[in-house]
Amino acid sequence: MPAAEEVKSSWADEVELEGGSLPPSTEIYENGYKIVTEYKYNEDDKKIKIVRTYKIEKRIVSKSIALRKTWKKFGECANDKPGPNPATTIVAEDVYMQYITSKEEDNKQEDEGLDKLKALGDKNVVKCRTCNGDHWTSKCPWRDTMLAGGKVPDDKKAPAVSGAAPGGDTGKPGGSKYVPPSMRDGGVKRTDGPNMTRRDDSYSAIRIANLSDSTTETDLEDLVKPFGPIQKLYLAKDKQTGLCKGFAYIHFKFRNDAAKAISILNGYGYDHLILSVDWSKPLTSSNQ
Amino acid sequence: MADWEPNLRSKGLQSQNKKPIMLQGHERAITQIKYNREGDLLFSSSKDNKPNVWYSLNGERLGTFNGHQGVVWCIDVDWTTTKFMSGAGDNTCKLWDCETGKEIGNITTASSVRTCMFSYSANMAVYTTDTAMKQHCEMFIIDTRTIDDSIGHQVPILRIPIKGPKVSSILWDNLDEMVITGHENGEITQWDLKTGKQLNSVREHDNLINDMQWNKDGTMFITASKDHTAKLFDAEDLMLLKTYKTERPVNSAAISPILEHVVVGGGQDAMDVTTTSTRVGKFDSRFFHMIFEEEFGRVKGHFGPINSVAFHPDGKSYSSGGEDGYVRIHTFDSSYFEYNFDY
Repeated sequence: MPAAEEVKSSWADEVELEGGSLPPSTEIYENGYKIVTEYKYNEDDKKIKIVRTYKIEKRIVSKSIALRKTWKKFGECANDKPGPNPATTIVAEDVYMQYITSKEEDNKQEDEGLDKLKALGDKNVVKCRTCNGDHWTSKCPWRDTMLAGGKVPDDKKAPAVSGAAPGGDTGKPGGSKYVPPSMRDGGVKRTDGPNMTRRDDSYSAIRIANLSDSTTETDLEDLVKPFGPIQKLYLAKDKQTGLCKGFAYIHFKFRNDAAKAISILNGYGYDHLILSVDWSKPLTSSNQ
Repeated sequence: MADWEPNLRSKGLQSQNKKPIMLQGHERAITQIKYNREGDLLFSSSKDNKPNVWYSLNGERLGTFNGHQGVVWCIDVDWTTTKFMSGAGDNTCKLWDCETGKEIGNITTASSVRTCMFSYSANMAVYTTDTAMKQHCEMFIIDTRTIDDSIGHQVPILRIPIKGPKVSSILWDNLDEMVITGHENGEITQWDLKTGKQLNSVREHDNLINDMQWNKDGTMFITASKDHTAKLFDAEDLMLLKTYKTERPVNSAAISPILEHVVVGGGQDAMDVTTTSTRVGKFDSRFFHMIFEEEFGRVKGHFGPINSVAFHPDGKSYSSGGEDGYVRIHTFDSSYFEYNFDY
């Protein structure tokens, strides 16, 4: 039988193969760090190198915990190497607890606003064209008498049909005029619209400009955290690339922390750029 | 990803805190997560059929318990972390060896096992079955001192048929004398195990109780209910102590072992997620002050409702498991411990 393995592939195939094979992944232990290097192809068939660095920590724990640390892996991960398997354990983006300081909660406000609006809507939205009563024009009791084009005598004017919403109109200036929902009593000022009125907390807000495009929220957090508790942190990012657009807003919990941050950070050299930090201006003034 | 970049930046301050760890070992929604007593291991179960166990410190997966054929609804681990128990929708309740992940006991039931728990000493365990397939909900107390193949044929120490709504959550008291059950209609009942009789029953919730968890010393427990509230009860006389209100069904709630804080996880029903507003913020873990009943903080992370939350026994981190199939271990940063509640 002719040996099949004798047949050599052409040199072109060999080159192909060589280009196709990936260097083996390596694991290096180096002064307290484990460095794992892996090669693989990404979606565009480009070779990529992934370097993961793990810090090896020693901790003093109770005997039972130490014993459990020596247990062999079992089940699906019986073949996993020591240390976290990147397929199942992922280090996620930093998330910080958002503290709610104001007594009113956003949601509650919103819901209440909606309720009020609904209640109002029942009373004021429906208006008769003939007699200005709280009912549809077609249901007007004076519809027939009005057809002639006369006016309702004042004394007869809509004593609210079948007692629906007595006094719904009274005491409300302009109750008979159309009022856009946002201007009505019930329309609580929405805080998340683009034209939002200034929030209470924005008086302790600062704007940091001239950030480099590689800045992340974590960096920012690290930068401003020493000054005091933060309520909200917004980093302007490009929608497509996800890179920083160069500025950020920080809402501090206390105004004097914010002032301190401005005095120190303004002109501070950060990542080869010089930061410019100032109070965050209300939207209306910055628009002009 | 954990790509390493050389730290050449002139940062204001090096961050001291740990990043959250996302555990991606399940293919379907998480049903329950639990720490062992020391908190070095974190157990998780999901609607796929393999409960997992992880090292809570670095998120490394220690193993999976393979053997179930259906949704794993409930898990528990004994105080010495030698035995692990799981109840599933394949009508079995299985007992496992924690170290090797081997199945050591298998109990076949008439319907799916909804809740299970070891007693504190782990000499006994309790599990309850669902009302389904013409079967009534039943509670079984079993002897778990020696576990081998015979446990499937063993006669339970006590067998209590539950008349009325089924049991949806369960707790042992600390002296192994009493079991507290939370029911589908919001009822909470204490059972005396010596007599097998009902001791006390209250109905403070209007809807299914998803979860019940002890505080550290076992004097109070917190319930999480579909009626949008979590409530704190005295364990002795089932007196309602506190109520934590949210706008969505609460799936799980836990009490911090070191601070007067309560974490509540929830979100709308999984089936309603696509049909209602997508406003983020409904899937946050929400932190309430235990005494003032006021929410003071939120932690984002999941992109589906949270099904189970658990505090690490040292109170310095907590974990949440969501309908999105991820378990997240969140380590608190210094600001959490420095935070003072204004009142």
